[in-house]
Amino acid sequence: MTRRAVLAGLVAVLAAAGGAAWKFRLFAKHYPPTPYDDLLSEIVDRDPAIVFGQAARKSLPGASLLAAGLRRDGRKLTERATREPGEAQIAEVAGWVVPQSVALYAALAAQS
Amino acid sequence: MSAFQDARTLPRDTILTPDLAIIGGGPAGISLALALADSGLNILLLESGGRAFESNIQKLYEGSQTGVPYVALDGGRLRFLGGSTNHWGGWTRPLDGIDFENRRGMAHFGWPFARNVIEPYFARAQALIEAGPWVYDEADKTASDSGPLLRLGPGGVYTSWFQFSKTKVSNLPTHFGDRYQTDLVHAPRITPLLNANVTAIRLSPDARRVLQLDVATLSGNRLTVKPRYTVLAAGAIENARLMLASSDVMTAGIGNGNDLVGRFFADHPIPRDVATLVSFDGQIAPFYFNNLTLPNGAVMRAVLSPRPEFMRAHGVVGSLTTVENEVPLDPFATAAVVTTAQALGVNASSAKAYSLGCGMELAPDPDRRLTLGSARDALDMPRLNLHMTISDDDFEHFRQTLTELGRQLLAAKSGMIHLSYNRRDEWLGAMDWGNHHLGTTRMHNDPKQGVVDAASKVHGIGNLYVAGSSVFPTYGSSNPTLNLVALTLRLADHLKKVMT
Repeated sequence: MTRRAVLAGLVAVLAAAGGAAWKFRLFAKHYPPTPYDDLLSEIVDRDPAIVFGQAARKSLPGASLLAAGLRRDGRKLTERATREPGEAQIAEVAGWVVPQSVALYAALAAQS
Repeated sequence: MSAFQDARTLPRDTILTPDLAIIGGGPAGISLALALADSGLNILLLESGGRAFESNIQKLYEGSQTGVPYVALDGGRLRFLGGSTNHWGGWTRPLDGIDFENRRGMAHFGWPFARNVIEPYFARAQALIEAGPWVYDEADKTASDSGPLLRLGPGGVYTSWFQFSKTKVSNLPTHFGDRYQTDLVHAPRITPLLNANVTAIRLSPDARRVLQLDVATLSGNRLTVKPRYTVLAAGAIENARLMLASSDVMTAGIGNGNDLVGRFFADHPIPRDVATLVSFDGQIAPFYFNNLTLPNGAVMRAVLSPRPEFMRAHGVVGSLTTVENEVPLDPFATAAVVTTAQALGVNASSAKAYSLGCGMELAPDPDRRLTLGSARDALDMPRLNLHMTISDDDFEHFRQTLTELGRQLLAAKSGMIHLSYNRRDEWLGAMDWGNHHLGTTRMHNDPKQGVVDAASKVHGIGNLYVAGSSVFPTYGSSNPTLNLVALTLRLADHLKKVMT
């Protein structure tokens, strides 16, 4: 086997491994399963959401009620967060003015 | 030509008989004298101080205070030729139309006329304060070379513009005493009299006319002025003091038959670090932080202001919000920014945060007032007590505006905002003041609601007028100097008509 073939094979193996890691989120942080994973999966980076959500959860209902409310209209977080400021649906969390859904999703993340 | 005269050196008991006596050599008094220089009237400009600061003169301003902590009464103003322009910052902006409106559901708001009444005087006032060409909100067009305006979604807050008084030979704003002393002495009919403290305004027995002014110097000299007309232009604190203290005919004080003189005192609170603005892409044009000099010479600064429509709809008062300096984000703040930006689908990896400052308008409050105390100064004038107030509504109004700014930043996906203060003690802990004294001889057509009428004449007294920001019945959030000078120029036109 030529050195070129070995290198090409190595590259192919690495690419396949990388693709699998991406596909199956092998290196992503994993969290214990919750009944709200369908919602929490919409949060790009859950760790900062948990930190922020600690403040948001103080003035919001429990996780199951929150989740029920968020599931009701079926819209995704990004769509909600983009629309809400224009509709004056904002919340204040520890002084931060945020779209209402950001507060709700963050609170859910912190409670789960 | 009338050189400066010194009241200390005039023969004791001299009687002066000008057509017009102007009490106070600050921006109002000097503007009025210069505007009437060619009227044919003999004008006596009485200035308590000299041409420079002297501590014994300044001490005449000392007084006592109750209520909300406020700047000492001898600390926020200056008692020598040029008055408080000797320490002003030069910020300038005309009052907005809404500042003159009677606001539905808001007590004591409104002027007896609309903005267009003083608009014709703005250009000359702008020239007197040396703020360059009239640009203000037209700067949106010309400042674009220096960077984009902050991206805001549709809503109640917009970028507005201040200009600055800057003299041609200095970065300092125009100090009216230094700048116009030569003009004063070259005006043949203006006599500027220094070190001349008016200690009493004497009325006729029927209280319908001013007969004479008692003048004293700290050196012990005494003079009398018997003018045809008198204009009080000593600032909002001293105007009230002199009217209240002149009580031999009207026992409650001149113009105070309805217990209004000294009430409705106001200033612009300027609490520090009121909020943090995060720009997701880290870009904010430099004219939000620093002065921008336009090619035409105008010196500009962008601020964020509530639109009139928003103010009317939400019942809030005026404010200006300034971008101050970059500040770090702590871990919790970073979490808030990352979570929000990601939810909006925005990359905030270059985000930067900036502290915000402000100038707030206060709602008129009759209980925020000056009264005479029992202590006396070196001229045996009663000293003042200021009872200062600021209501929770005043803070809440501004908080609503900041929240709207935050909403608009989110709507534009350009950034977000953190509000620093919620509780009253937090606001008061960050409090500073603009030293813009306003409102103590407020203007209203109804004598039961105002001390002076729409012409600035004291109700019921035929030859006594008041100039300066003490007549402002509603204050706006703009710095007062340009506006009080414009109003004074209007008064000059009125006096020309009635006196000549």
